Amino acid sequence: MRYALTRIARFVLVFVIVTFLVMLVTRIGSKDPIRDLAGGTVGDAQMDKVRDDFPYVKACSGTFEYIPCVAKQYVFWAKDMVTGNMGVSYLKSQTVFEMFQERAPSTFFLGFWAIIIGLIIAVPIGVYSAYKRDGWLDRILSLGSYVSISMPQLVLAVLLLYGVASRFEFFPNRTNYIAPWENPVEHFKNFFLPSLTLGLGLGAVWSRLLRADMILTLQSDFINLARAKGVKPGRVLWVHALRSSVLSLITSVALQMSGLVSGAVVAEQFFGVPGLGFRLVEAVQTNDILAIQAITAVIVAVVVIVNVGVDLLYSVIDPRIRQMRAMG
Amino acid sequence: MARAPKRPNRFFTIGSILALAWLGSIAVLSILAPVLDSIRDPNKLGPSYSKNYKVGPGWDFWFGSDKLGRDVFSRCIFGAQISLRVALGSIVVGLLVGGFLGLLAGYLRGKVDSAINVLLDVLLSFPALILAILVVGRLDVLAENWTWLTRTWSVTIVLSLLSIAPIARIVRAQTLSLSEREFVLAARSLGASKWRIVGKEILPNLVPAMVSVAFTGVAVLMVAEGGLAFLGYSVKSPTSSWGKLIAENREKFNDGAWWGTTFPALMLFLTVFAFNVIGDRFARRFDIREAAL
Repeated sequence: MRYALTRIARFVLVFVIVTFLVMLVTRIGSKDPIRDLAGGTVGDAQMDKVRDDFPYVKACSGTFEYIPCVAKQYVFWAKDMVTGNMGVSYLKSQTVFEMFQERAPSTFFLGFWAIIIGLIIAVPIGVYSAYKRDGWLDRILSLGSYVSISMPQLVLAVLLLYGVASRFEFFPNRTNYIAPWENPVEHFKNFFLPSLTLGLGLGAVWSRLLRADMILTLQSDFINLARAKGVKPGRVLWVHALRSSVLSLITSVALQMSGLVSGAVVAEQFFGVPGLGFRLVEAVQTNDILAIQAITAVIVAVVVIVNVGVDLLYSVIDPRIRQMRAMG
Repeated sequence: MARAPKRPNRFFTIGSILALAWLGSIAVLSILAPVLDSIRDPNKLGPSYSKNYKVGPGWDFWFGSDKLGRDVFSRCIFGAQISLRVALGSIVVGLLVGGFLGLLAGYLRGKVDSAINVLLDVLLSFPALILAILVVGRLDVLAENWTWLTRTWSVTIVLSLLSIAPIARIVRAQTLSLSEREFVLAARSLGASKWRIVGKEILPNLVPAMVSVAFTGVAVLMVAEGGLAFLGYSVKSPTSSWGKLIAENREKFNDGAWWGTTFPALMLFLTVFAFNVIGDRFARRFDIREAAL
């Protein structure tokens, strides 16, 4: 319990530092934050309205006053975030909350399907390669996963968009958001290629990881015991061995989260997915400060929460780890 | 289960030799490009018959021509210069700073370790590409006053920042395990000072791991640079880099001009692949485990 609390406290600290740094960057890289917030070239009336709406946003100056000045703004912003007021994007004439409602589902499904595709690729390949280790198929699969790991998402996107999407009518060239419960087929058509762009690399990483882990697991005593008891080989492999190897896979899912988000930005841009990454690139171009801060805060929060979650889950699933930590 | 006999882990295999050859030729070509006559000026507008992707890959234009009639091959080669320079520059900074932090954290432990770990967590919890576009995008405003701060510099700064945390993590883990070893204990019991142990006992043993990390790290950084360039946050036009060439030429892909996108993509892939192969072979040769990735 104490372990869990210190872990959570540390991640809260990290979260605060990161969001503060983002705020600092949006302020340093700007001549007039209020004008940026208002959306560039606007009239005086609009500027006054923005000043009224967000009185705490102001330009900072001075060598020693700079950081305290931004810190003061951070407190106001944090208070707003906690009370559910995420701010406004004047440039897009919508509140940041509305923006999330519009954009978040696309990014969510992109990431979700990418992870599913990654697992669909990784689990059979990893298990099979460990079982038939150094066989000819294992060698080919290893080479294949190695090539996929080295494949930049950008290159894979080129391949999929121009090699597949534009040759077959089936896949649209630009992805639109269609909820799966509205039209599952259209949803699949729209999201398959961008998700595959992200999922293939994940699958390659995970299959290597799973292979290495399974090879170790298959040598352990409890597997021999299960075999000796006469449990069917398939069951030994897929139930007994896979279960204990799944742990490292779970950790890797968490570790890959931030890579997944980075990849999503490229994939969204390439396939025109109307998601958060796409919006973030726009927001950075115009220094739409509240949108930048809110999107990065949410992304970092997701990454951090997944990591803490996995960390805590880990010690629940595998008591050995809990014990190891208790000892030192 | 019959186990195949373990093959010796040599560094030089067909794969790594091919990879070295590829990287070597790219490096030589991109360095010699300005003096070689057969490589056109990448920024000069081409002859009118080559405008609008009129010329495909062939003897005249090896990789075809682009929208403005420029030679895609020479743009790829000059792009390699930028990509390599940025990636190599940042990995050096990453190794120095990350290595230093990792050594400190791993050897001194305690409070120093916790403080450095928080710093590394901050860097790692931030999705790389997002940090990069945020910082590069905002550095542009500062660049109006500081003329030396070109995009090449901003990108190098950002990528250095990104390479610090993973390297520091790996060095820390290696240092932790090395400092438990007998030879360190021996040195300590002979009365060697802290700095002597770090410098003479631990650091030399870190070199193989760091070389391997440097190669795979360069691969990762090149991918990152490609992504940044694609999003428009790397070098400014007319300078080229591989990611940028992909972004520039991709609209015409379906109108028959497949070469403008395919060749830079292929070069990016092969180079990343080559760096990965070499890093991996090196890691196997010295039996480095991917402990802290």
